Amino acid sequence: MASLRGMRGHKRSWRAAAALGMVLAVGGSVISGCGGGSGRDTLVIYSGRTSNLIKPLLDKFAEETDTNIDVRYDNSANLALLLDEEGDHTDVDVFLSQSPGAVGFLDEQGRLGEISSDLLGKVPEGDAAADGSWIGLSGRVRTLVYNTDLVDPATLPTSVLDLIKPEYAGKVALAPTNGSFQDFVTVLREKLGEEAAGSWLQAMADGNPPTFNDNTAIVEAVGRGEVPMGLVNHYYAFVAKSDNPDLPVENHFFAPGDYGSTLLVTAASIVKDTDQPEAARKFVEFLLSEEAQKYFASETFEYPLASGVQPNPVLPPLDQINPTRVDLSTLGGDLESTAELIQRSGLSS
Amino acid sequence: MSVVIGVLFVAPLLYLLQRTVGGKENLWSLYTSASTLEPLRRTLILALSTALSSAVVGTGLAWLTTRTDLPLRRLWAGLTPLPLVFPSFVGALALMAAVAPGGLLDSPLGWIGLEPTRPEGFWGAWMVLTLFTTPYVQLPVAARLVALPPSLEETARLLGRRPLTVFRTVVLPQIAPAIGAGALLVFLYALSDFGVVVMLRYETLTSAIYTNRILDRDRSTALSLLLGLLAVGVVVVERHVARRRPATDATRAKRPLQVPLGKWRWPALAAVVAWVALALGGPLASLAVWAARSLRGEATGLAAGGARTGLADLTTPAVNSVWIGLVTAVVAVAVVLPAAYLSARYRSRIGGALTGLVAAGFALPGLVVALSVVSWSVGLPKSIDLYQSFPLLVSAYVVHLGAQSLGAARVAVTAVPNRLDESARMLGAGWVRRIATIDLPLMLPGLAAGAGLVMLSTMKELPITLLVAPTGFETLSTRIWTGTESGFLAEPGLASLVLVALSGVLTWFLVVRRTERLA
Repeated sequence: MASLRGMRGHKRSWRAAAALGMVLAVGGSVISGCGGGSGRDTLVIYSGRTSNLIKPLLDKFAEETDTNIDVRYDNSANLALLLDEEGDHTDVDVFLSQSPGAVGFLDEQGRLGEISSDLLGKVPEGDAAADGSWIGLSGRVRTLVYNTDLVDPATLPTSVLDLIKPEYAGKVALAPTNGSFQDFVTVLREKLGEEAAGSWLQAMADGNPPTFNDNTAIVEAVGRGEVPMGLVNHYYAFVAKSDNPDLPVENHFFAPGDYGSTLLVTAASIVKDTDQPEAARKFVEFLLSEEAQKYFASETFEYPLASGVQPNPVLPPLDQINPTRVDLSTLGGDLESTAELIQRSGLSS
Repeated sequence: MSVVIGVLFVAPLLYLLQRTVGGKENLWSLYTSASTLEPLRRTLILALSTALSSAVVGTGLAWLTTRTDLPLRRLWAGLTPLPLVFPSFVGALALMAAVAPGGLLDSPLGWIGLEPTRPEGFWGAWMVLTLFTTPYVQLPVAARLVALPPSLEETARLLGRRPLTVFRTVVLPQIAPAIGAGALLVFLYALSDFGVVVMLRYETLTSAIYTNRILDRDRSTALSLLLGLLAVGVVVVERHVARRRPATDATRAKRPLQVPLGKWRWPALAAVVAWVALALGGPLASLAVWAARSLRGEATGLAAGGARTGLADLTTPAVNSVWIGLVTAVVAVAVVLPAAYLSARYRSRIGGALTGLVAAGFALPGLVVALSVVSWSVGLPKSIDLYQSFPLLVSAYVVHLGAQSLGAARVAVTAVPNRLDESARMLGAGWVRRIATIDLPLMLPGLAAGAGLVMLSTMKELPITLLVAPTGFETLSTRIWTGTESGFLAEPGLASLVLVALSGVLTWFLVVRRTERLA
C-alpha cells in the first residue's frame, strides 16, 4: 500500500514537472516574440494621467496624424524618477504630468526641453513656464467637498482661512501628505508668508482633524458620512458620483480670489533629448486644440486651459472663481519646505 | 552559480549604495537624526508586532485546519490563505470602506456590539497587515503539521500528558522552524509595504521613502539603503540562530494525529469564522458592492460615450496576470534553489549570505527594486537591449519576491534524506540521474508551495509591473491601479474580485491541496 502510494506520488510529480516545463516553454516563446520595443519613429509618451482619462485622446492623435505612439502609465512622481534614471539613454519624447511636483523635479534635473513660444501663447500667462519647460493642459481647483445630508451649504465658509473657526474643529478632513494639499499650502506660504501659513496649519492641527492619504479616501469618507467635509480637488466629487450617483457629496467653491481655490494644472513637457521634436510639438499642439480641450471639459470635468474653450456647464467658470496659481518653477526646492511646515504643525510626522 | 545569483540579488543594494555615496546626504547625521530614528522605531515596532501576531494566529489557524475536528475544516483551510492576494492598497481601502463609521458593515457591526472604527495609525496598520500576512505563517506551518510523525504525540498522550502540554512540549518544537520562516517573511513584508502604511497614515521608513521620493530624493535613497541593510542584518542574525538548531528530519506521516476539540469545538469555529469574516469578508464586501455598480451599469464612468468595463474587458489582463505569475514562480524557485541547497544541506556561510541578499530584495519597496533594475539595464549596450522587456520584468520580480520561495525551498531540500542520495551514489548513479530520480521528485511538493507564494505575489505586484513591463502590458493589478489612481472604485472592484477568484483557485490547487502532501 505504501509503495503504491509512493508510485502514484511520483507520477503526479512528473506530471507537475511536465506542466512546469510547458509553462516555461510557452513563457519563453512569448518572451522572445515580444522583444524589440519601440521603433525609431515612435513617439514615446510617459503619462502621469491614467489611461481612462487620456487614452481616447491619444488614440485619436495617433490615428489623425498617422503617428506610432507608445505610452507608459504610472503616477507622475514614479515616471519622473524613471525618466531621470534613464538619463541620456531615454527614448521618451513627451512627459504628461498630473502633479506639479513631478515637473518641478524633472526641471531641476535638467531633463526638460523647450516648448515653442507660439504654443505657450495658447494658455493664459501663469499656466505655462516662461522658459517653455511645461505647459498646462487642464486644471483642477481646490474645493471643500461636503456631505449634503449632514451639512447645510449656507453654513460653509467663504474663505479657507475661516476653517480654523471653532465650529469646524475636527470636522474637515485633510490629506497632509498628498501633493494637492501641499501645493495649496505652498500657495498659502507665498501669499501669507511663512509665519501666517504656519499658524493657520497649527490652528487646523489643534482642531484634531481626521486625516487621510488622498482625495479619493476623503470623498469616500465624506460620502459615507464619517466626516462632514474635506479639502479636496473639485474633480473627485464628480468621479465618485459617476461611480455611485446616490453618493450625497457636493463641491463648495470658496469666494472669488480666495487662496483656498488653488488651481492645480496638469502639464505637458517635451523631454530634452527627444529624437522626435517635430512629432512631440505636433502632439502638444493637439492637446491644446479645441477638440482635446473640449474632451477635458466634457469628459473629465476639468478646466480646459487653452483660451477660448468653456468648462463644463456644471462648473462655475474659472474667471468667476479667480483661482490662485502655484508657480511650478519655484516648486522644485519649495515643496520640501512646505512638507516641513506641515510636519511641524503635527498634521504629519 | 551562486555568484550569478549573488549578482542578481545584490543589484538593488549596490544601486542604493552608489546613489547614496553620490548624493549630498551626510549618512551619519541622517541616520542618527530624529527624523530617521523615529520612523525607524515605528517601522521596527510595526514589523515585530505584526510578525508576532501573525505567528500566533497563523500557527493557530494552521493547527485548527489540519489537526483537529473543527467543523468544515477543509473549507477553512481553503479560505484562510486568501487574504494574501489583496494588493495592499486596495485591500486597505476596501476594508476601510467596510468597517469605518457609516461604512458598509456599520449596522452588522452594531448588532454584535462592535463600534465601527476606521483603521488608522499604528493599530490600524498592525491589524490590517496581520490580517493580510497571516497566510505567510499559516501555509508553511500547516505543511509541517501534516508531515509530523504521529508516534511522538501518541506516546506523550499515552503517558497521560494533557493535549495542551503535548502541543507545547512535542509539537511546538518541531514546527518552530516553520513558524520562524513564516514570521520572517511577515517581518520583511511589513518592512517593505507601503500600501497599508500610507493608506492608514502610519509614518514608517517606507512611507518616508515614498513621500520624499521626489521632494528629497537623496534622503529617500539613503533611507532605502538603511531598510535594505536592516533586512540583511536581521536575516544574518536569524541564520545564526537557526544554524544552532538541530536539523529536523522531515518524514511523510501516514496519517497526522487528529485532536478532538471537545467543548472548545464551537468557540474555535466562532474564532475562525470571525477571522475569515474580517480578513476576507470585510474587503470582499466593499469590492463586491463596487463591482456590482460596474456590472449593473450604474457606474457610468466619466466619458459620456465611453464603453464601460465588463468582465470581458478583463480577459487579457487576467490571462497576462496568470502567465506572468506562473513564469515568475518557476524562475524564482529555480534561482533560489542553489541558495537553499547551500544553506540547508551544507549549512555553508555563502548560503547564509545569499539568503540575506535575497531577503533584502523582499524588504525593499517594489519601486526601489524597479528603479535599481532600470539603472543597471539602461546602461547595457544596444545589442543586448533588455530594457522594458519580459526577461527584465521577470528578473525584477524574482529579485523582489524570490525570498518567498526560499523558506519553502529550504524545507524541500531537507526533505530529501542524505542517505538516499548516498545509496544512489554508491550504486553508481551520476548526479544528473540522482537529481532527476531522487531529489526533484521528493522536493516537488515543497517547491510548489514556495512557487505558489511567489505566483500570488507577482499577480498582485504593482510598482515593478508599471515601471519595468513592456509598454502596453496590462495585468489585473495595473487595471485596479488605473481605476483607484483616478478616483474610480467600480471598475477596480470588479478587477479585484477577478484577481481574488483567480488567485483563490490557483492557491487551492497549487498550495492548499499540496499542503496535505507536503513532506
